[in-house]
Amino acid sequence: MKKVVDVSIPLGPVHPCWKEPARVKCETRGEKVLAAEVELGYMKKGIERIMKGRPWQEVLFLAERVCGICSVIHNMVFIEGMEAVSGIAVPDRAAYLRVIVNELDRIQSHLLANFSFCYTIEHETLAMYLLNTRERAMDCLERITGARVNKAFMIPGGVRFDLRDNDRAALLTDLDWIQNEVDRYTRMFDTGPLIATRTKGVGILTQEQARIARAVGPTARASGIAEDVRLAHPTYRKLNFAPLVRMEGDNHARIMLRFGEIFQSIGLIHRCLSDLPEGPIRGGGTCGAGETVSRGEAPRGELSYFILSDEYGRIVDIAIRTPSIMNIDACTHFMLPGVTSLADVTSVFVSADPCIACNER
Amino acid sequence: MNLLQDAKNWVRARSIHVAYVDVGSCNGCDIEVLACLAPRYDIEQYGILVHNNPREADILLVVGAMTPQWIDKLPALWAKIPAPKAAIAIGNCPISGCVYNRRETYILGPVSKYIPIAAEVPGCPPRPTEILSAVLSVAPTVFRDYEVKRP
Repeated sequence: MKKVVDVSIPLGPVHPCWKEPARVKCETRGEKVLAAEVELGYMKKGIERIMKGRPWQEVLFLAERVCGICSVIHNMVFIEGMEAVSGIAVPDRAAYLRVIVNELDRIQSHLLANFSFCYTIEHETLAMYLLNTRERAMDCLERITGARVNKAFMIPGGVRFDLRDNDRAALLTDLDWIQNEVDRYTRMFDTGPLIATRTKGVGILTQEQARIARAVGPTARASGIAEDVRLAHPTYRKLNFAPLVRMEGDNHARIMLRFGEIFQSIGLIHRCLSDLPEGPIRGGGTCGAGETVSRGEAPRGELSYFILSDEYGRIVDIAIRTPSIMNIDACTHFMLPGVTSLADVTSVFVSADPCIACNER
Repeated sequence: MNLLQDAKNWVRARSIHVAYVDVGSCNGCDIEVLACLAPRYDIEQYGILVHNNPREADILLVVGAMTPQWIDKLPALWAKIPAPKAAIAIGNCPISGCVYNRRETYILGPVSKYIPIAAEVPGCPPRPTEILSAVLSVAPTVFRDYEVKRP
């Protein structure tokens, strides 16, 4: 970057506000940020290189270790891709259980994202409330899938475990509790006067800029782009899913949209539970040769897997595109320039919910 | 001197400042370390304070599988922490590389090649309670009678 400014301030890679290493360089004049640049590459492990030539049984576990926060959707998109290339059908009950677990994962991911934002703007009270609420969502996931983070719940042709009656009752109780709590925190966030000064009108991403930067997920939907890959998913279509959209495009809109999506996910899980068909949870089948692009809506936006497999179900070639790279791009090119205080740089960066681990793999 | 040492031992066991560094994890262990902050686990009742400043830390939690970018940065970060200090490896990745330790990988583990590791918490990822109990059991053992043991 050309030096035409007062100071060039680097933030990171080890920074108190960021959970993961990334380096943001801000060119500033006074407190105003003129331009920003992001440096990545601290987390590159070469997962796609490891995946190539391995059987799907191993790639299944590698795929969910692309990202620990949204491991369910990586699992789901990879498995749906393998099912598409080998023509495996999924029983209805398993398809609904997949949606339940995916939406629970989205709830905990959005709660974590909003926790990080509140922690970054130093609203520690609200942050701790949200983190405590997230533990209840993690309990639900653990009860259904048997693990907290890396679950490997979905397998070709179905899911591993059925939903037991006492888990179902506990899930309903916990969802009601989460809904009440998040409702309270949403009102706290929406009406807090000090929160408003740190969030409203800060880090604006207009609809046109979001299109130029190819922003995806909640970042795009908070800027007025009604795009969601769940609209194309057969199970979500049965549940009459419609994406939430906000028009403001600032920090406040992004966080409030995530709160809105938590309620939406709770609604989807309720609909799944009331429609849950009886029947088997595993259909069986053999993974075979083929080539496909499988897409899914991660908590951060569109995730796609290109898969090429051979007749024994081995992965010949695989390419993963994760949502965060577009959102980080939108953040550094459009949200950060023009930020009037350096204190807002971290909060704007965190509001786009960058996931560096899935970004670099 | 003995009384002073006892006082130091008592204080050091009850005031543990923690910094964490992610050297290439999948975020799974990372969020389990963050989950320790939740009021459910209530780490501050044990005197643990998590802030990511190495210059004030006593304990460094190392998360992740050691990517090439960190080979110079992790020892530099370790040097910034004032003594007495201890590093704890969280998860399988810093210990063995976990699923990433395969052919064609970029990682250059284990972390113990680069900095001394006082304790290891295996798991993919370990539960927050396990991380918490590791920190609580390592800190008093490593910091006890530090001035006496110092060469």
